[in-house]
Amino acid sequence: MGVSPGLATLDTETETWVASQVGGALEAVFETVAATRADTEALLDRVTARGRPPASADLAALRPGLHQRLRLEDLVSGVGFVAAPGLLTDVPAWLEWWQSAADGDVRPLLLDLDPGHSAYSDYTHWDWFALPRDTGRRAVAGPYVDYLCSDEYSLTLSEPVLIQGRFAGVAAADVYLRHFEAAVLPLLRRLSRPAHLVNARGRVAASADPAHLAGSLTRGPDFGGLLTGTAPGAYDGLRLVPCHGVPLVLVLAG
Amino acid sequence: MRQYETDSGARKAVFSPVDNRARVDAVVHRLGDAIELGLLADGEQLPGETELAGQLGVSTVTLREALMALRQRGLVTTRRGRGGGSFVSLPEVPADDRLRARLRGWSTEELRDLGDHWAALSGAAARLAAQRTAPEDLDPLRRTAEELARAADAPARSRLYGRFHVELAAAAQSARLTREQVALQSEVGALMCLVLADDACREEVAECHRAVISAVQDGAHETAGTLAERCVRESAARLVAVRLSL
Repeated sequence: MGVSPGLATLDTETETWVASQVGGALEAVFETVAATRADTEALLDRVTARGRPPASADLAALRPGLHQRLRLEDLVSGVGFVAAPGLLTDVPAWLEWWQSAADGDVRPLLLDLDPGHSAYSDYTHWDWFALPRDTGRRAVAGPYVDYLCSDEYSLTLSEPVLIQGRFAGVAAADVYLRHFEAAVLPLLRRLSRPAHLVNARGRVAASADPAHLAGSLTRGPDFGGLLTGTAPGAYDGLRLVPCHGVPLVLVLAG
Repeated sequence: MRQYETDSGARKAVFSPVDNRARVDAVVHRLGDAIELGLLADGEQLPGETELAGQLGVSTVTLREALMALRQRGLVTTRRGRGGGSFVSLPEVPADDRLRARLRGWSTEELRDLGDHWAALSGAAARLAAQRTAPEDLDPLRRTAEELARAADAPARSRLYGRFHVELAAAAQSARLTREQVALQSEVGALMCLVLADDACREEVAECHRAVISAVQDGAHETAGTLAERCVRESAARLVAVRLSL
């Protein structure tokens, strides 16, 4: 009532456009991840072609590329390769991980990965590692509090690195949630209804709706199910639009 | 103007020099804990004074005072000349005795306050986690509770105990609460070895953690918060009891 079909169509078009723009923002981060994966696979192939298993020192060759990607991609605050335990001959586990500091500097992450010292030495349970390993596909982990690497509320995008078809670890990039929000909030505000973005579990990743703040859960809809397709859905007056190519759903209030 | 006059006492405190003694103590605690927990190995060389001061975010003067205090406690030795520097040195006395000596540095009032701070953090984290937790988010907490039930030695139990509270704060989706909890655990972690060596205490803690997980899972936020606070208070009370026996 009072809404012409023309306006409703315009609304739908804007929703689809916003969802695709959000997907595009993360797609740029995935390009960073894919470049890191390609570098790492080429490096590991070169080393193994010489007939010896890789060691942690070999991974230093990744650094110029990692530093460049940190400087070029605004959304990315951390990037690197996380080795599967047992991949490297000299260490049980390894993160070749670099972060941009507040002063613009690029710094390595140095973690204590000795299980005899640190309660946080086993990183294989984190979603950013386990999802690409178990599904063989790229993944978006979070939002979650990253107390291992950055102490920031983050999204981590990752994809599996393979040597001769075998899982060798993950290439990944961190996006701090405050930076993600700054990138997508102008998009969400274009919509005529209060809107927010959730992950497959319903966790709010960014919001222009005061009733659904980042970090809270939107309960009810089967977001995971919706993300297996591309068609928009509805739930109890909410409109649900999957973001193309990334596991986020745009939720519009009724 | 009048505002400034009424608040002059408080304003003076704001602009007074930051307590150097507190910084020295913080560095002594941090490095002392790291040595007690085995994070820094016996005989390991510490970074140079300038580098270490930079990493810890304190002046070299503060760092020197802290190293002096650590030398007096026998946790650090300094050698001059070529190949010199500061080295971690674990004294011959048993770890428990050294930890008791550390605990003697805490007054019961400070321990009570530490317990209050910790209970506030973990209670708030448990309440928020109960409202914000999807079933998958509880996996890390469950794993930690199971590992704690199996952990044999006190330092491992203490690390897992600390990890449980850090993961609880992360389940609350709060980076601030998590950072606070990590900082608090770096203070309390070594001391908790003194109470967690006891199997009965470990069992009680494990039981309490399982109850917190169940309440968080059920979304019973008040129960989760109360249980987490009780768990922390019982641990703090045990620490105070050990302190009073010294």
